[in-house]
Amino acid sequence: MAIEISRRKFLQGSVALSVIGGTSVGVSPLFSEEKEEQGELSITTKTGTGKAKLVPTLCEMCVNKCAAIARVENGIVTKLDPNPMFPKSKNMLCPRGNAGIQALYDPDRLKYPMIRVGEKGEGKFKRVTWDEAYNAILNGTDKFPGMAKILDEEQDNRSSFLFCAGEGMAEHTFKTFYSAFGSSNWLNHASICLQTVSSAYNLTLGAYPGADLENATYVIMAGANRAEAIVTPDTMTLFKNTKGRGTKLVCIDPRFTNTAAKADKWLPINPGTDLAFVLALTYVVLKEELYNKEYVEANFNDFEIYKNHIISHGYTPEWASKITAIPAKEIYTIAREFMQHAPKAIYYPGRRSTFAANDFQLRRAMAIFQALGGGIDTKGGLVFGKKLELGTHEGLAPLYFQAASRAVQEVDRGEGKPRYDDCAIVTESGSWLAWRDRFLENRMPYKVRGMFVYKHNPMLNMPNTKKTAQMMKKMELTVVIDTMPSDTVMYADVVLPECTYLERTDPVNTFPGVEPSIAQRNKVIEPMYESKPLIEILRGLTQKISKPLFEITKKYDMDVQDMISKIANSAADTNTTEDANATIASAPKSEEDIFAEFDISLPFKESQEKINEHMVHELYGEEGVKALKEHGVFYPNMKQFFKQVSANEFQYYPESEKAYSVNNGAPKTESGKVECNLAFLAEKGIDPMPTWKNDFAFVVPKGKFRMLTGRHAQYTQSSTANNSMLHDLMPSNYVWINKRVADEMNIEFGDEVEVSSPTGKVTIKAYPTEQIAPNVVFFIHGFGSQSEELTWAYKNGGNDNAVITDKVEPIYGAAAMHETNVEIRKV
Amino acid sequence: MANYGMALDYKNCINCKACEVACKEENGVELGAEKHRIWVGGNEPDGIWPLLNIASAAFMPSQCQHCENAPCEEVCPTHATYYDDNGVVRVDADKCILCSYCMNACPYDARYVDSRTMTVDKCNFCSETRLARGETTTACQNTCPTKVRIFGDLDDPNSEISVLLRTREHFTLKTHLGTKPKLFYML
Amino acid sequence: MEQTVKKFSIKEIKEFIASIPYNKITIKDILSFEKTKENKILAGVIALLLGLFIMGVLMYLLHGHHAYNVTREHPWGLLIAVYIFFVVSSTGLCIVGSLGDVFGFKDYMLISKRAIFGSIVTILSGFAVIAFEIGHPVTMLIYNIVSPGLRSAIWWMGTLYGLYLTFMIIEFMFLLKNDMKNARTFGLIGLLVGLAAHSNLGGVFGFLNARTISNGVFYPTYFILTAFITGIFIAFIMMGFRYKLNFTKEVQVMLSNLAKIQGLLISILIFFVTWKMLTDIYGGMENRSGVAIHILGSWTFWAEVILAMLIPIYIILKSKGDDTKKLFYASLGGMVGIFFMRYNLVHDTQLKPLQMMKTEQYQLAPQWVHYFPSAAEIMISLGGLGICLALYYVGTKLFNLDSDTHH
Ligand SMILES: Nc1nc2c(c(=O)[nH]1)N[C@H]1C(S)=C(S)[C@@H](COP(=O)(O)OP(=O)(O)OC[C@H]3O[C@@H](n4cnc5c(=O)[nH]c(N)nc54)[C@H](O)[C@@H]3O)O[C@H]1N2
Ligand SMILES: Nc1nc2c(c(=O)[nH]1)N[C@H]1C(S)=C(S)[C@@H](COP(=O)(O)OP(=O)(O)OC[C@H]3O[C@@H](n4cnc5c(=O)[nH]c(N)nc54)[C@H](O)[C@@H]3O)O[C@H]1N2
Ligand code: SF4
Ligand code: SF4
Ligand code: SF4
Ligand code: SF4
Ligand code: SF4
Ligand SMILES: [Mo]
Repeated sequence: MAIEISRRKFLQGSVALSVIGGTSVGVSPLFSEEKEEQGELSITTKTGTGKAKLVPTLCEMCVNKCAAIARVENGIVTKLDPNPMFPKSKNMLCPRGNAGIQALYDPDRLKYPMIRVGEKGEGKFKRVTWDEAYNAILNGTDKFPGMAKILDEEQDNRSSFLFCAGEGMAEHTFKTFYSAFGSSNWLNHASICLQTVSSAYNLTLGAYPGADLENATYVIMAGANRAEAIVTPDTMTLFKNTKGRGTKLVCIDPRFTNTAAKADKWLPINPGTDLAFVLALTYVVLKEELYNKEYVEANFNDFEIYKNHIISHGYTPEWASKITAIPAKEIYTIAREFMQHAPKAIYYPGRRSTFAANDFQLRRAMAIFQALGGGIDTKGGLVFGKKLELGTHEGLAPLYFQAASRAVQEVDRGEGKPRYDDCAIVTESGSWLAWRDRFLENRMPYKVRGMFVYKHNPMLNMPNTKKTAQMMKKMELTVVIDTMPSDTVMYADVVLPECTYLERTDPVNTFPGVEPSIAQRNKVIEPMYESKPLIEILRGLTQKISKPLFEITKKYDMDVQDMISKIANSAADTNTTEDANATIASAPKSEEDIFAEFDISLPFKESQEKINEHMVHELYGEEGVKALKEHGVFYPNMKQFFKQVSANEFQYYPESEKAYSVNNGAPKTESGKVECNLAFLAEKGIDPMPTWKNDFAFVVPKGKFRMLTGRHAQYTQSSTANNSMLHDLMPSNYVWINKRVADEMNIEFGDEVEVSSPTGKVTIKAYPTEQIAPNVVFFIHGFGSQSEELTWAYKNGGNDNAVITDKVEPIYGAAAMHETNVEIRKV
Repeated sequence: MANYGMALDYKNCINCKACEVACKEENGVELGAEKHRIWVGGNEPDGIWPLLNIASAAFMPSQCQHCENAPCEEVCPTHATYYDDNGVVRVDADKCILCSYCMNACPYDARYVDSRTMTVDKCNFCSETRLARGETTTACQNTCPTKVRIFGDLDDPNSEISVLLRTREHFTLKTHLGTKPKLFYML
Repeated sequence: MEQTVKKFSIKEIKEFIASIPYNKITIKDILSFEKTKENKILAGVIALLLGLFIMGVLMYLLHGHHAYNVTREHPWGLLIAVYIFFVVSSTGLCIVGSLGDVFGFKDYMLISKRAIFGSIVTILSGFAVIAFEIGHPVTMLIYNIVSPGLRSAIWWMGTLYGLYLTFMIIEFMFLLKNDMKNARTFGLIGLLVGLAAHSNLGGVFGFLNARTISNGVFYPTYFILTAFITGIFIAFIMMGFRYKLNFTKEVQVMLSNLAKIQGLLISILIFFVTWKMLTDIYGGMENRSGVAIHILGSWTFWAEVILAMLIPIYIILKSKGDDTKKLFYASLGGMVGIFFMRYNLVHDTQLKPLQMMKTEQYQLAPQWVHYFPSAAEIMISLGGLGICLALYYVGTKLFNLDSDTHH
């Protein structure tokens, strides 16, 4: 096999380093000793014809988790190929999935545990051993306080630590740590990603459904960009059928995206006005009685009220066309065509829904509109699909007497759970932006002083970067678990290097859908450098901190003190009755017994492989365990069902076995009906039915631009910006600006411009194009990193979140990222 | 012995460039924007916002056409460029003197210089890697999310590609030059 | 048969070479020249050019082709243009030299030896330059023979130029020995091989059907014509230096005759170029006309036209070819024009991108291929000129390049 020269050099370098590394403790250049000369980085692999090990695994370059087969030659991963056996990813790897090798062999990777020696955010670290790192977390250094000190001072209030995580297969493992630790402060990507869409569909249809694009003949895709924002299997399915080949695709997007290029019709819309568009579609359908009467009759709650609401408000296409800039004629046509094709017509739900303040109501209106055609839980419509259950793995959730709830104001909805109510009206999972504000403005009812971050980069992914930096600075102890020296890592006190997804087995997972399956990420090669998988990191950490933390708990936790006193009592009381004997049997015999309940290392004791085996074996026996090891994928009858149909196509389930309909076409709400009118929302002062408000209107003062953000097929948010292969495909992001406007402003392709808002400013190169409206600009998200340790990403392109204002969507506290007007100036 | 060709369902292409990355990792193609064996062309759509012409924004995936009458082969002074037994147009790096004549002669911009060997390189239908291992798909075909490519033996009347070419309309690029390309674009 | 095919033994060849008359000189002789200001400057310039050559070659050896600005879209750069410049000069000098010793025009006899020597020197310089453009010159020597690409114009061009050089050297040796019969034989073969090589060089471009601007019969014929023109320019330059512009009567007569031929040739060239442009632009081939119009807008094209065509023809017409002094200067300018002619030929062929779509998200769709030579390319090219001048100078010391008195 042939390995490219520079690769070989690099690997030799890394081997040499792990030998001599122990003595080379320095201050700054810990990240990338063998970083190749800038601009000369040219690592590619070439596969050989000799012996190779093929390992089925799952991609984690983005949220989709496509199945891959890694080719390993002489211990080096030389190729990632698609694994055809996984129904969700259908024999494909996208550019990022293919470039996973570059993530594995990125010379900038985090290699060793580190602790901060410089100022916060300065990025000066010292290499330490794992044990020293754990010690620093527990006991602190002269630069930062340890966990023991903080918890002692906060009298064992476990909520004085925040836990936050990005999406990932091991997110669950991290959440287990969070539960065991006993904090109530959990934040993840939801409120900057899909909170409103998933909640709206959940409340309206009882689930956030999938879309059967394979069989739909009409699709409206508004505010989603499947050609570039890749979601499996939607991306692969849809574009084989568009362009007059069976599925008519209507793309509604302020930009002419690749999805627009692949659509049969593209209509640009004023940002943030989709609600008016959907209301007008609904109006036409109701007024002209085009809806599926049978379906509505059987499956709607409060249909008449909703109908009346829509008609009486006069949500006509003519009304909507003024708000949306979509011609009324088009709205009539689309509404009629949609219903002609229904139930095989889909108003695509979308994924990221952090656009505007009305996101929640928009998604409700979309769900109801979809249901009017009857395209629910049916072939060619929105589908709930089936989920294959997995066995159980015991977690641990000790109750800490002193742990404060996250809420300022507790609202008990019967389950006794505390609610987080002051910033977002409905959610219980938490609003990142509102939390950050509360923390910065000292509006927390108690002090939050420490923070654990897993696979998450809030520095780049939350609107208003300046505020995030302030938050990170204010946090007294920050532990970040990452693979790369991200911008967030730069603010850490302790950095724990996780190995990449190719170096670990992750929790087995189930993937529901029309063709459900279970899939597992298998370790491809041993972790490089001193990196470890999360479960091992947490095993080490919890073994270190469990006992000392218990000592603090003992000091402040009245329940625990109670229990301990019981041991004392029982020890004193040796002469006992039978009755008393029984009590003593269930009461702890010793302090060790009590500690067992608080030993938070328990969930991480076993290896991930063991845990997975157990979870699968419980329900699917040896067959399932074996299939997941050999193929990475399992579902009942796989051997019988899975067939290659042609060079490119595979059958996963025979048509008759596909789970198009699992609920007889009814929604999955508690009432079993489509919820048009949610009374409980009204109680909270929220419109119970989707309603247009004048302040939703799209207003951009003259000379300013509305700023939009989004995806590109070759990048994943902020996490692939340093991937040399992807960097090669698209070296940077540019700001999209209308060509004619740019001409007037004397801005040419590639000119540096300054984009500014009251929140901040960035400079970025200009891309004048007719593919965007004259008063709108667009950034591909994920660029403009400020971490000097990232060779390619450092100061490359513009960080959109430095400019985007942290406006909060009021109902779920999600971010409203497309509500910022910016100014542009040539520099 | 085969006569390999490729059919492209090019309307499926979403311009993601997974094919380009797969090709680079499979075949050890250098990094660097101009070092690609495979590419996807796109256009700014014609027209003025909001009246843009969707049809003008098609994506054109492409690579070496493995011309049956290949100008690159004709002009090569040392036979470094040759047809192999499978009808694949290949470059023998040992014979290439880097005169670059073939780069000028190829009407499709399919060739580039590999700066490690300082010889000309191009798509070879993965002949050194996948085909050499007995696999039957190319890296670019295999990874493509929307399954744009079908690779196969044109001489085998029962191959998937032969059947497709008999049953679906298709065209080739710069046909008038007489190069007889073996990359077929399906309508 | 035995008698007719004469076999040369090594000994005979050695004897033959030993009998070639030359001046025994030492390095000191080479460094000793009349120390006029002009000569000193000239010597300095040549030394500088040779220095540049060494630097350029070092840069190439250190960085390989990265030292050049050639790209995927523009694989042929300045070095190819300079190579063509030299080999066309060589062919031109060969034609001029042949006027006397091959075709027997007595008047031109007095430049034959000098021109033939010039043709050797220029082609050697061309080879010196191309050796650093071809990625693997040694591989070339091997595989040109082991697996010759007989359908390749570049193979024929290279091979024929190799033969041509051999014949030119043999011819020159006979000229030195005053063996006019053999000189004529080898001169004729050399000339024919040279013309074949040269039209193949045109064919290198003419065969490119991917490049509509160059494709067709135009370049092979145009190359012969412009070679002759180049030869005459250089003849003026060589004689101008030889006689320091104080021409003897004989020389004056020859030069003004050459000037008249030059007038005719340049007129034909202008006619050629005009029609090429007209057919390019109005020939109804969209791609080709676009390129032609683009060429009309480039200054290098006008440098070629003004320096190599308009100024010389104006002077020739005005003085009926008699103002040889002015023509000496016009020829110097003419050679600059000819350089641009070669550069334009190479560059214009590659002007139009073969792939006109955007292959990156942020990029302007390719319109025209841009190229500007790198420092290394420029140094090696200027170095080629240095080599040429130096070799010629050494030649003037080593051999008697003036015509012998016998005629
Ligand atoms: N302006 C703007 N902001 C946005 C968005 C937008 O479109 N525009 N999109 C929003 C959306 S939809 C989302 S989902 C969020 C995403 O925001 P994040 O969840 O922060 O996602 P990423 O940007 O992918 O960053 C993930 C981090 O995990 C690290 N990482 C990658 N792999 C591993 C691993 O295996 N282990 C560990 N420990 N770390 C790993 C990466 O190095 C990186 O630092 O951003 C949101 N923010
Ligand atoms: N390649 C790639 N794929 C990914 C990801 C990635 O980072 N890279 N991330 C994954 C994740 S975490 C997510 S959440 C999804 C996101 O997937 P999507 O939500 O589909 O993607 P976005 O690019 O965030 O936004 C979609 C489109 O909405 C448009 N838009 C903006 N404002 C409006 C509006 O007011 N109305 C309408 N109709 N359109 C509007 C934008 O121009 C953009 O084209 O993608 C997933 N897939
Ligand atoms: S879509 Fe691409 S990056 Fe995401 S999991 Fe699949 S292959 Fe990996
Ligand atoms: S992988 Fe397929 S869809 Fe993506 S760019 Fe290549 S051909 Fe197009
Ligand atoms: S496309 Fe170009 S490189 Fe490929 S065979 Fe044809 S001429 Fe040769
Ligand atoms: S560059 Fe190499 S392959 Fe191309 S023509 Fe020259 S010798 Fe042949
Ligand atoms: S066939 Fe193989 S070599 Fe050719 S472009 Fe596709 S992946 Fe690359
Ligand atoms: Mo997301």
